[in-house]
Amino acid sequence: MAPLQKRALYSFVIGLVLTIVLIVVLVAQGDITAFERDPNLRLIMYAVLIGVPLIYLILVNLTLRKPTQVDERDRLIIEKAVRAQWLAVIFTLVVWTIALTEIYRDQGQVPITFLKLIFTSTLIISTLAHSFGILVGYWEMNRNG
Amino acid sequence: MRFDHDEMTQEELASRAGCTRQTIIALEQNKYVPSIELAFRVAKAFGVPLEEVFQYEDSQGR
Repeated sequence: MAPLQKRALYSFVIGLVLTIVLIVVLVAQGDITAFERDPNLRLIMYAVLIGVPLIYLILVNLTLRKPTQVDERDRLIIEKAVRAQWLAVIFTLVVWTIALTEIYRDQGQVPITFLKLIFTSTLIISTLAHSFGILVGYWEMNRNG
Repeated sequence: MRFDHDEMTQEELASRAGCTRQTIIALEQNKYVPSIELAFRVAKAFGVPLEEVFQYEDSQGR
């Protein structure tokens, strides 16, 4: 397994775990506004918001800086993965926009909690899509050349 | 080709050519077409001209 492929796999697994944890927390609280009421939950959310991009940046930079770890073939795969990531982010934002517009049309306003949820979900989807794109890229290249 | 050069390992060739071992594996299995630069670096690692390592075949196999 290529070093980049390994990192993509780790990122993908971490992203999935994070998503499951968030869903479990949401379901356990039973209400989306629980994030606002519970200070501990808010703290966890802020830690995720700051921590995930930071860890992601560090991991990506560490990988891309080492020439023996990432070569031209890896860079081709990264380029394709970025396209998948971009599409996933756009699609996530479209889904949020349509869903919130339709649900809160009558009220004329959207609860502030959704700001964090939109950001967190986009961040997670972005990381997952990038990692998934890299894994599919390797799979495709190994299969078709 | 590696075996004709002191049984050079994939890792060693990768290190000399400045790429990953997985790319060497893909090249050996004809699953990746390298850039001109990488092709030259691989040939240089063997100390032979480019055409001794890589041969061009067009889509009709001529």
